[in-house]
Amino acid sequence: MAAPAYPAWVTRWVSGQWRNKKRPPTLRPPRALALADKVANRREQSTEATCITEMSVMMACWKQNDFNDAPCAEEIRMFYDCVAKAEKERKNQNEDTLSSRGNLPSSKVNKLLKRFPQITRYV
Amino acid sequence: MAAPSAAGLGRRLRAWLPRIMPVRWSRYNPSYLEPEVKKESHQKPLEELTEEEREQMELKAVRPIKAAPPSLSSSVFSDPMISKFTNMMMKSGNKVLARSLMSQTLEAIKRKQLEKYHKAPENEKETIECNPYVIFHQALKNCQPIIGLSNITRGGKTYQVPVPLTDNRKRFLAMKWLITECRENKHRRTLMPEKLSQELLLAFNNEGPVIKRKHILHKMAEANRAYAHFRWW
Repeated sequence: MAAPAYPAWVTRWVSGQWRNKKRPPTLRPPRALALADKVANRREQSTEATCITEMSVMMACWKQNDFNDAPCAEEIRMFYDCVAKAEKERKNQNEDTLSSRGNLPSSKVNKLLKRFPQITRYV
Repeated sequence: MAAPSAAGLGRRLRAWLPRIMPVRWSRYNPSYLEPEVKKESHQKPLEELTEEEREQMELKAVRPIKAAPPSLSSSVFSDPMISKFTNMMMKSGNKVLARSLMSQTLEAIKRKQLEKYHKAPENEKETIECNPYVIFHQALKNCQPIIGLSNITRGGKTYQVPVPLTDNRKRFLAMKWLITECRENKHRRTLMPEKLSQELLLAFNNEGPVIKRKHILHKMAEANRAYAHFRWW
């Protein structure tokens, strides 16, 4: 006898396709499942003001001595030292290393990632 | 047809011509070195130089050197602070007038101090300072503010925040205050050397309107010290 012509769903069902693997994909990712070469732009947190304690000590001394500079020479010297140190710190701070809070700004991260991009295809 | 070709020709010609507009920054090649004006550094014998000075000398043998500006002098009488003050006093480029005013001011200071010296009793004669340069520098130092105010905007409102000043800014403010005080708050017919010498002597003794202005600035900074955290540097 000739092979009976069954409808397609019958043959598919009989072969066990539906149960095993040949299902339409349950996950349909809208984008490629790979890391992008960019980070989102984050607002850089501003650093705190420096030398506030020295400044407040100096101002307290001023208040006591009616804003004369002669009796407050020591506090003024300390304030100047602190300011010079903070200025030097700011100059020497290399932006490529981590900032004082341990974060890199997003622009620097993007530059680094661009140098080492995600490999999407192998040759 | 003629118009686009003329415009293109003009653009090409303009791109080819070297720039002859005056600019405010330096047009020297970065390889040019600064001139050394002090006589002592040239008279040092070779053995006394440190390693870095020797390297500097060798560098000067191969690199071109910038032309020395006319305000730079190797004379013992030239003082950079006095030159700066003269330049700030100058109006419309009249350096001759500004320099003569400055020398007349120094002379007036010397005269006033000598008068005081000769009138003073014997025991006080040492305390009177007669050198006008010393008086000038001390007066400027007394006028320099220690802390300044800067406008910082937060949430739509502008606050006056106390801020440390750089040395250049302090010197500039002291000189500016002295000059404006002399120009504006004095009688119309007094001459500048007289006004300036008076102001400088008052500032030397920590009195006078310029010192008062400095104290007012300090008081405002002290009043606004709560906003000091708005600074981010």
